[in-house]
Amino acid sequence: MSALDYLRQRNTPRTGNQILSRSGRLALLVGIAVLAALGPVVQSVQPFWLNLLVRMLTFALLALSLDFVFGYAGLLSFGHAAMYGAGGYAAALLVTEVTASALVVLPLAVVTGVIVATIIGWLSVRARGIYFAMLTLAFAQMLYVVAFTDLPATIAGMETVTGGDNGLYGIQLYELFGIDFRERLNYYYLTLGIVALSLAGIVRLANSPFGRVLQGIRENEERTEFIGYDVQRYKVIAFAISGGFASLAGALYVPFQSVANPQLLHWTVSGELVVMVLLGGMGTFWGPMLGAGLVVFLEDRLGSVASWEVILGSLFVAVVIFAPRGLAGSIIALRNNPRAAIGNAKRALENYVRKVRG
Amino acid sequence: MVETFLRATLLGVQLGMTLALIAAGLTLIFGMLDVINFAHGALYMLGAYFGAVIAVNLGSFWLALVLAPLLVGLIGAAIEVLSLRPLYGRNPLYHILLTFGFAIMIQGAIVQIWGGQARRIAQPDLLTGTLSIGSLNYPIYRLFVLVVSTVLIAAVWLAIDRSNLGILMRASAHDTEMVDALGINVSKVFTSVFVFGAVLAGLAGVLLGASRSVNPGMGMGIIIEAFVIVVIGGLGSFRGAVYAGLLIGLVTAYGALIAPTLTDLFLFGLMAVVLMIKPNGLFGTTEAA
Repeated sequence: MSALDYLRQRNTPRTGNQILSRSGRLALLVGIAVLAALGPVVQSVQPFWLNLLVRMLTFALLALSLDFVFGYAGLLSFGHAAMYGAGGYAAALLVTEVTASALVVLPLAVVTGVIVATIIGWLSVRARGIYFAMLTLAFAQMLYVVAFTDLPATIAGMETVTGGDNGLYGIQLYELFGIDFRERLNYYYLTLGIVALSLAGIVRLANSPFGRVLQGIRENEERTEFIGYDVQRYKVIAFAISGGFASLAGALYVPFQSVANPQLLHWTVSGELVVMVLLGGMGTFWGPMLGAGLVVFLEDRLGSVASWEVILGSLFVAVVIFAPRGLAGSIIALRNNPRAAIGNAKRALENYVRKVRG
Repeated sequence: MVETFLRATLLGVQLGMTLALIAAGLTLIFGMLDVINFAHGALYMLGAYFGAVIAVNLGSFWLALVLAPLLVGLIGAAIEVLSLRPLYGRNPLYHILLTFGFAIMIQGAIVQIWGGQARRIAQPDLLTGTLSIGSLNYPIYRLFVLVVSTVLIAAVWLAIDRSNLGILMRASAHDTEMVDALGINVSKVFTSVFVFGAVLAGLAGVLLGASRSVNPGMGMGIIIEAFVIVVIGGLGSFRGAVYAGLLIGLVTAYGALIAPTLTDLFLFGLMAVVLMIKPNGLFGTTEAA
């Protein structure tokens, strides 16, 4: 092979059909580096904002987990709060009853989420589309009721397990290599590190042969089945993996807020999560994370404005009508052809007016 | 024992019929437009709030019962024309998301305008008091709700099944292009279906607002129950929605006798079991998925 051939080979876009192109990965890496550098700056300027950043990161992780099943396998889960809450409660119970070591609690919380997701997934994947969404929603709501009424305590004859309506509070922060996580900057780095690792893991999975099969299922389930893949099993496994990451997000959030209450499991969490993923643009990983970060940020900043829901709702409605591929879609279109942006916007508006007139 | 059972049955049937009324609008909109309307609960809540405001300011429950649903219908028309209409033909997923956006928006607007505390629509004098049948006492208003819901559901059923408008609606849903080619404005038919569903939701809001409380959480609470019913009945099946509504009403009422805090668990459990046995609901067709 001549040097020229080698160069040519290197320059061919062999990463072209990868989930994240090389430039995309570079951008994400830069993004994570910027976030890491931002920590101390935020700490010195306005320490309170670190809390906001941690919250944005945990929701980004949650959105990432939903995008893995929704954007890649085409499974609209309307019950992701189940795994998020399961991870949160698992972490809360382990920290208060057993140990606060992150090395023990986080993996166990993930296992809890995987188990819950496997059961829900296994029971739900036979239904398709809307029915699948409704089944996941039903199971998540059942868990909500279980936590809300503290059913485990009633069954086991104990005084309290989930703490019922009030939930569990005063959850201690993690211990890890003697780092003091009461120092918010340290918790921020813990979260950032875990989110970055999860992102790397999920991107690898999506690019693996396993991820390819999932995309095949999304595009054409019958054909994938016909080739000889066990579609149901792939779906359950994808759901279980997604659930693991969702519960990781819950396990990061609960000790940080020091509370685990049934609200974690409520269906509105799942609904908002779907909003975040769609707002960001599903199927890109960075889009949903961006969407989640943005929603949490706006919610915090505009929370004092009483009409926050009106703003979020209108924003969301506008995105669904005018930018169905979400923010990520718009950003990609803008990057590919910046000059056409105004023309495109005008055309979209004209199109809209024409359709409204009927 | 028999009396408790009888009371629960009566309560269950009444609850079931009102739930069916709410689910009917939802299932009509899905059956005809292929739209999963997540804003249905919000429209129901709007009906209750409009009803409360009208009842207080104009001093008449009956005016509220007529005017509030019409106002909700107007808002429904605006939603359909301005946002759903440009989206037909796209993946139905976008309709869920769009209407979820409206649900959030209306919820926020209601808290913004009327605040967070609960209110109540005063029951008309004519319908207060209780009715005694033997040793069984039953509030007259509840009986009124039962009768109105049943009559309405029967009327809607007949209208869809027999009237020209109903046939036109079903034909438009079945073969849009053909009906369009016959010179009928399908857009208007679709708008009227959505408005009709919204009016039903608003009506249910006023009816229930006078026996339960009117509060900002009622929309999100009812929408899930309505979804459970519509899904158990089979998406888009009107008959399914009515039967499932009754079933859920009875399960809730009997469940309340056994373990009042766990009725929701029974509901979702029932839905999960039905969907696992019949993945398209009791009366659903495979196309609906």
